[in-house]
Amino acid sequence: MRRAYKYAVLTAMIVSTLALALAASAGGLGYALPFPAVRNLAYWYLRTTYNPFMPKFTASAPEAVTAIVWDYRGLDTLFETSVFFLAIIASMALMRGIEVRAPESINLSKYGMSAIVKTVTRITVAIILAASASIALHGQLTPGGGFQGGATAAVAPLVIIVIFSLYFAVGSGIKKKSMLTLRTLGLLGIGVTSFAVIVAGLILGKAAYVFQNQPKEAAPIGLPSHILGVPMGGTLLLFNIFEFLAVAAGFTIVFLLLSVPEESVRKVLEGGEGHD
Amino acid sequence: MIDVNAFLFSVLVFSLIMNLGISLYGIFWRPSLVKKIIALTILGDTANVLAIVVGYRAWIAPNRPPIPPVLTTWKPTAADLSKFSSLAVDPLPQALVLTAVVIGLAVTVFLVFLTIQVYRLHGTTDVRKIAKLKG
Repeated sequence: MRRAYKYAVLTAMIVSTLALALAASAGGLGYALPFPAVRNLAYWYLRTTYNPFMPKFTASAPEAVTAIVWDYRGLDTLFETSVFFLAIIASMALMRGIEVRAPESINLSKYGMSAIVKTVTRITVAIILAASASIALHGQLTPGGGFQGGATAAVAPLVIIVIFSLYFAVGSGIKKKSMLTLRTLGLLGIGVTSFAVIVAGLILGKAAYVFQNQPKEAAPIGLPSHILGVPMGGTLLLFNIFEFLAVAAGFTIVFLLLSVPEESVRKVLEGGEGHD
Repeated sequence: MIDVNAFLFSVLVFSLIMNLGISLYGIFWRPSLVKKIIALTILGDTANVLAIVVGYRAWIAPNRPPIPPVLTTWKPTAADLSKFSSLAVDPLPQALVLTAVVIGLAVTVFLVFLTIQVYRLHGTTDVRKIAKLKG
């Protein structure tokens, strides 16, 4: 009976999907579904993202997505970064009092997987880090940027923890405190970069906006758009580097905390955490 | 007369909407916190795909598909620019989704920590039992 009910629900969902799709493609919505053109706003973004003929409007990055993320809608991304910051801080607050630390006099070679896996991982980690740095640093030229590069780079410590053990990771410098420092540096860099042009404007005696990238009509100042003929996107490159640091280090912290052995966490919890 | 491509595209859109419904069922009706988190990630990913699909544009001609919103020349002429803006898909949903993916991962990690601590302290992830806990 219950099985028949499940199949009936499944069939009803598939049939209604197909029926709604049929109605929509027959003109039920009033328009065809793959829209024939992008909206005017998107057209404006595509038109101005890298346009040497409109120097007062361009973001000077051939990649429109990065230009939107850190130039046209930079404030959105700043607050997204603060949500990320708060989520990581909240995770760390939940796990407060729990130390990520290797026991003294430990034989690291006993832990982890076999020698073959470890050797392959040594090579792979280098490749992961190189690829993630390339994703982050070429954010203004090719698809990619700080968020994607950082999420890719965070895979490297995760692989190290799984293959070599947590104690090896902590012993080789992937510590909670150092990652926290790195992440704070990244966030600080984002904050400094958003004020970089306004500070330059104050020094040079010109008007400028917060979060400005390229020269605008009433604020004729901006960071260099090209270095050695390669488009750098002004502040976009700096934002990508700092966001890369913040995201990679933030995720490394939570991976470290997630892989703390269950016994030591329970010891802290049963030892009356929060009562002293 | 029904266009086959438009029909298939509509099937994609409506199956994404059905997927949203399934994930909402998982969030509201499954009692386990772990399953709620899984359903929440499905909801988030479906919403992201839906946003990308909204930014897609139809093929101009059978041999001219849309291109990614990345300009591949560093010294573009006016003709390059007008070709680019007449072929590229909408970059705005992609920009929103790329941040939403990473933020979604961070929020999921926070929820996972919350669930782990609840399990460690009370030995259950069933919301019906957690609701009855005292103290």
